[in-house]
Amino acid sequence: MAAVTLTNVVKRYGVFEVVHGANIDIADGEFVVFVGPSGCGKSTLLRMIAGLEDISGGDIAIGGKVMNDVEAADRGIAMVFQSYALYPHMTVEQNLSFGLRMNGNPKADTDRRVKRAAEILRIDELMQRRPKQLSGGQRQRVAIGRAIVREPQVFLFDEPLSNLDAELRVQMRVEISRLHKELGVTMIYVTHDQTEAMTLADRIVVLKGGNVEQIGAPLDLYDDPANRFVAGFIGSPKMNFLGAKVVETSNSAAIIELVNHGGARLRKPLREAFPAVGAEVVLGVRPEHFFEAGEGDCDIPVKADVAEHLGSVSYVYANAGPEELIVEREASRQRASGDHFTVSIKAERSLLFDKAGARIR
Amino acid sequence: MRTQNATAYRFLTPYLLIFAIFWIWPIISSFLISFQATRTVPWRFAPTFNWGRLIGDPAFYNALKNTLLILVIQVPVMIALAIVMAVLLNSPLLKARGLYRFAFFAPVVVGEVAYSAVFRLMFSLDFGIINKLLESVGLAKIDWFSNVTPAMALIMIAVTWRWAGYNAIIILAGLQSIPEDVYEAATLDRVSKVKQFFHITLPLLKPVIVFCAVLSIIGTMQLFTEPFLITERGGPGGGTETLGLLLYRQGFRSLNFGYASAVAYTMAGLAIAITLVQLWLMREPK
Repeated sequence: MAAVTLTNVVKRYGVFEVVHGANIDIADGEFVVFVGPSGCGKSTLLRMIAGLEDISGGDIAIGGKVMNDVEAADRGIAMVFQSYALYPHMTVEQNLSFGLRMNGNPKADTDRRVKRAAEILRIDELMQRRPKQLSGGQRQRVAIGRAIVREPQVFLFDEPLSNLDAELRVQMRVEISRLHKELGVTMIYVTHDQTEAMTLADRIVVLKGGNVEQIGAPLDLYDDPANRFVAGFIGSPKMNFLGAKVVETSNSAAIIELVNHGGARLRKPLREAFPAVGAEVVLGVRPEHFFEAGEGDCDIPVKADVAEHLGSVSYVYANAGPEELIVEREASRQRASGDHFTVSIKAERSLLFDKAGARIR
Repeated sequence: MRTQNATAYRFLTPYLLIFAIFWIWPIISSFLISFQATRTVPWRFAPTFNWGRLIGDPAFYNALKNTLLILVIQVPVMIALAIVMAVLLNSPLLKARGLYRFAFFAPVVVGEVAYSAVFRLMFSLDFGIINKLLESVGLAKIDWFSNVTPAMALIMIAVTWRWAGYNAIIILAGLQSIPEDVYEAATLDRVSKVKQFFHITLPLLKPVIVFCAVLSIIGTMQLFTEPFLITERGGPGGGTETLGLLLYRQGFRSLNFGYASAVAYTMAGLAIAITLVQLWLMREPK
C-alpha cells in the first residue's frame, strides 16, 4: 500500500501541452476517481502514474519515492485496461499467472496468488477458458484478477467498465467497491461517467482541458462545486443554468434578475464576493431543487415539453423562454407534455456563478 | 426468389463458361491425360503407363529430392528472416519506414528475367561481385554454376531474396494487428521485451506465419523460374532440377503430356498433403 503524490505534473506532446501542472495528493488506501470529458487528460495522467507515458515536467511519487525515471514494471502498480488487454492465446489461469511465471516466482506462491484472485473474483470455474470464450463481465474480472495477483501497492483502472452493458456496469461497480474494502489498497480510477465517480470514490478529481478543476469528496463536489463546469459535470441530470443580471447589491447579498423569465428577481445571500450592479451572472439550480409555486423565493412559469417517468420520480424537460430546464417531480406530481406550471427557486438551494464560470459565494 | 436466381445465373453464364473451359476442363482433362500414353498417335488409354514410370523414374526422384530440399531449408529460413524484417519494420525507432517497406517489397515486382540475369552476373565465377567479395576477405572463389551444392544454395538465396520481403509485409500487417495494450500489460507484468516476443508476439502471429508458410510451400512445389533461368534449366546436370522444371521438360520439350500431367498431379498432391500436415501441426489447441 502506498500514497501517490503528483506535483506540478506536466505532459507535452511536442509543443502541445495536454496536462498543465497537476497537483494531486492521494492518501494510502484511498479510492480516487479522475473524471472529466474526453480529452481532459485523465487517462494520460493515469498512464504517467503507471509509467507508460513519460512525464514532461513535475514529479510523481509513489510511497514517498519519486518515480519519474523508474520503469513501469518497478513502480509496484497494476493496471486494468479499458480493453481488458488479456493475452488472447492463454487460458484464464495462464493470463493470471503469466507475469509471475515469467519472473521466476516460486510455483507454490504463484498458485496461491492465482487461487486467491480467482476466489475473490469468483472466476474459479473459468480457469481453463480462453478470453474469447468469456463474456465482457468475465473478461473484466480476469483483467482485475491479473492485477490482484501482482499484489501491487496501487491499482490503476482505466475506464474499466465502459465496454460493459448498463446492468453489468452496476454489478461490476459494486464488485470493485467491495474489492477496495477487502484489499484496502490505494486505487486510482479513470472514468468519464460521473455516476461511477460519485458511487465509487472517496475523493473525486475533476479534470477539464488538462487542468484540475476541483478535488473533493463526491457530495462536497455535488453540494459545493468550485465552478460552473464542476457544477454541470457532477450530477445527473445536469444542473440547470439560468441567465441573470445583478440589479442591486448590499454587504450581505445580491439581488439578481432572471433575464429570460419576465424580470423575476431573487435575493441571493453572499459571504465572500459581491459582483457589480449590472454584471451578467448565471444561477445554477439542480433539477431536484425546484419547488412548488410559492414555496421558494422566486417563481417562474414553465411549459412541460417532454416528461420521463422513472417510477419514483419524473424528469420534466420544460421550456421557460429560450431556456430549457430539467425539473424533478415526485411521481405523484407528474406533468404531461404541454402542461403549464410554475416552479419556485429557493436562494439557499441555488448557486451563483460569474460570466466566466467561477463560483460567487 | 427462383426468378431472381435464374436472372443472376444468366448474368454469370459468360464467366462460368470461361471458367469451365479454361479452369475446370484442363484440371479434369490433365487428370484423364495422366492415364494415357501420349507419345503414340493416337493416344491410347494405359492407366499404369505414366504413373508406373513415375514410381521408377530416377529423374522424378531427383527433382522431388531437390524440390523438398529447397522446401525444407529455404522456406523456414525465409519465414524466420521475414519475421525479423517485419519486427524491424515495425520498430518505432526506425526512420523512413515507408522507404524500407518499399525496398523490401520491390523484388516481387522486378521482372523475373531481369533479376535472374542480375543474379547470374553477381554470382559469375570470374566477374561476379560475390566472388570478388569472398576473395577480398581471403576466401576461395566458388563456382556457383558448375557444382550442385553451390548451385542449390544460389537458388535458395535467389528465392529468399525475392520473397522474404513479400512475406515480411504480410507478417508486418499481422504484427500491427496485435493491440499495443497487450504489450503494455506485459510490461507492467515485468515481462522483458525478449520474453514478450517469444510468449506474446510469436503465438499471436501464428495464423499469419502459417498463411505465409502455406503460400511458400505451394510456391516452392511449383518452383520453376530460378532453376530455369539462373542455373540454366536445372543445371549442373539436373542438380537443381525441380518438379516444375521436370514437368516443363516432359510436357513442353518432349511433348509427353501424359507423363507431365502425372508429375503435375503429384506436385499438387504433395502441396496439399504438406499443407494439411502443416495446418494440423499448427492447429489451435481446443
